[in-house]
Amino acid sequence: MIAITGYGIICAIGNNADEVLDSLRQSRSGIGSMRYLKTRHSDLPVGEVKLSNDEMKALLGIQNDVPFSRTSLMGAIAIRQAIQSADVVLKGKRVALISGTTVGCMDVTEQLYSEMKSDDVPLSLPQYNDCGRSTREMAMIAGLEDVELCTISTACSSALNSIIVGAEMLKNDEADLVIAGGSEALSRFHLNGFNSLMILDTERCRPFDDTRAGLNLGEGAAFVVLQKDAPDAKAYLAGYGNRCDAFHQTASSADGEGAYLAMEDALSMAHLSAADIQYVNAHGTGTPNNDLSESKALLRVFGDKMPEVSSTKSFTGHTTSASGSIETVICLLAMQHGFTPGNLGWKNQIEGGITPTHGHNGVKLDHVLCNSFGFGGNDSSLVLSKCDEPSASEHYPNMEVVELACDEVTTKEELVALKEFVSPMESRRMSKLMKAAILSAFRALKKAGIETPDAIITATSRGMLEFSQRFLDDIINNGEEMLKPTLFMQSTHNTLGSEIAIRCKCHGYNITYSCGDDSEKWAMRDAVRQLKTGKARSVLVGCFDESTFLTDSICKKSGKPVYPEIFALTRVLVSKNNNK
Amino acid sequence: MEELIYTLKKQIIEALNLEEVTPEDMKDNIPLFGGGFGLDSIDVLELIVLLEKNYGIELQSPAEAKEIFTSVRTMAEYVMQNRKK
Repeated sequence: MIAITGYGIICAIGNNADEVLDSLRQSRSGIGSMRYLKTRHSDLPVGEVKLSNDEMKALLGIQNDVPFSRTSLMGAIAIRQAIQSADVVLKGKRVALISGTTVGCMDVTEQLYSEMKSDDVPLSLPQYNDCGRSTREMAMIAGLEDVELCTISTACSSALNSIIVGAEMLKNDEADLVIAGGSEALSRFHLNGFNSLMILDTERCRPFDDTRAGLNLGEGAAFVVLQKDAPDAKAYLAGYGNRCDAFHQTASSADGEGAYLAMEDALSMAHLSAADIQYVNAHGTGTPNNDLSESKALLRVFGDKMPEVSSTKSFTGHTTSASGSIETVICLLAMQHGFTPGNLGWKNQIEGGITPTHGHNGVKLDHVLCNSFGFGGNDSSLVLSKCDEPSASEHYPNMEVVELACDEVTTKEELVALKEFVSPMESRRMSKLMKAAILSAFRALKKAGIETPDAIITATSRGMLEFSQRFLDDIINNGEEMLKPTLFMQSTHNTLGSEIAIRCKCHGYNITYSCGDDSEKWAMRDAVRQLKTGKARSVLVGCFDESTFLTDSICKKSGKPVYPEIFALTRVLVSKNNNK
Repeated sequence: MEELIYTLKKQIIEALNLEEVTPEDMKDNIPLFGGGFGLDSIDVLELIVLLEKNYGIELQSPAEAKEIFTSVRTMAEYVMQNRKK
């Protein structure tokens, strides 16, 4: 089984595991007034990490004045703690660092954006929109050498999916040790994005409360060290599930199908029944939609045997892409120290909703479940177990992988063909890359004669550049007011994979890699792993990228070749027995 | 009023990127959401932005907007009474 041998955490309620533990036990929330993020919406409550960037640099012993992203700084702090707590020597081991993030280095991009748009772009200016950059930076700061680097971006479930991919790599003998988790700093970009969706509460958030009115954003990072069959485990990763709600880009389905399936998968892999789970750390964002939908999913899984449930976002705020690993570490602390964290601020029962716990001390937790859901319905769930119960070892059939079909869209002119699959009314909000992705995906599926693949894996090296830039422009030009939610919705890297899932009703495994030029390699590797191990019999792999006037001009000025305006390549892979 | 309705239609088509729709296609009383015109919850948010940008009307929540956005006519009536610019 996969052992968790170390962990590190930094978030609004503490700069390390001890401080976080203390805040949890004292019911001390970290949500409060904004101190470090400079925004017009400074009246919104947030869960900021209580350190300036300079203080973090001092903590890390960085003496130069390189403008490192806050995401990278927090990530490096959590990684160092994780390695220290695992007390392992990395040298001589095959090590991978997998980080989940969506905003990545956006805090730096925001500061440099005007410079990027000016005529004399400094040649040293990096392409900050690649969220893999934060992973490369944190590896460098944390002093990780000869380590495989991977970045996963499935919006708010990114960090949990990093842990899942890390576990799969270990089981498949692709690494000896994996450091997995996520990091996300507050940025004006996503604060304004969530604001444009009208899901930020102007008061402190109240997850699962009838009067809940939205979420408070938070920030932070957490990483765990994963090893196969290690003796000194803090706990074991007994099961996990990654599923797609396949319902809507920013809303969860009424019956929480994706969440339900993810929890069921996690329990089934752990060989546990619902009654074995003693605590659930819910996703519980505090939005009217999430908490009702998650309640329904929890009731479907647990029925009248509901364990203690709490959302710790009332402590940390919603730390978005980092929330999955932050809450995994909170679960580990709860298991090690025998308590359940309370659901702060809860007073009023939701009709048809779950009743969260106020928290207890002196409880023995053997099995806990941790939920993490993201935009696009990227829903994931973990089961953590205290003891390594001998479970039937997973038998991998080692299937052969075949490419069944392939389709490519490389020019804007080809997009008229989209009408075959999507009506103009339905495509009204789609960016050009979204249209290209959908067109290539559905043409490839048609060629393959497959209506719904078992899994959808996408790769985007630089992400949704057009809409991200338009949103940044609007933030600057409109003074952070009256921003278009459509632009924000399609700025997340996983929006393409989840739109394909919504359109072909695929509730299976769904993940997005965004780590620069390595993205396609990681996506293919995952697809082959899914097929070889028999987890999926058909996988859609999409590689989607675009360029904009701005990225072209940056490339030209730095003497690099420009990227194509649009590039969408979809492959449909199947395992051989399925190839009839 | 009729002029405002026409202007609103043009603004809605632009804000929601309804490429193949003309103001003439959009009947004054047809329900914008649900079975009628087929708009959804994200369009509600876009229409809230539209009202603020063009008429200085600040709506606090999608729930509040629901009745106002029943049809182009109800929207126009609300704009007439509440516009700040």
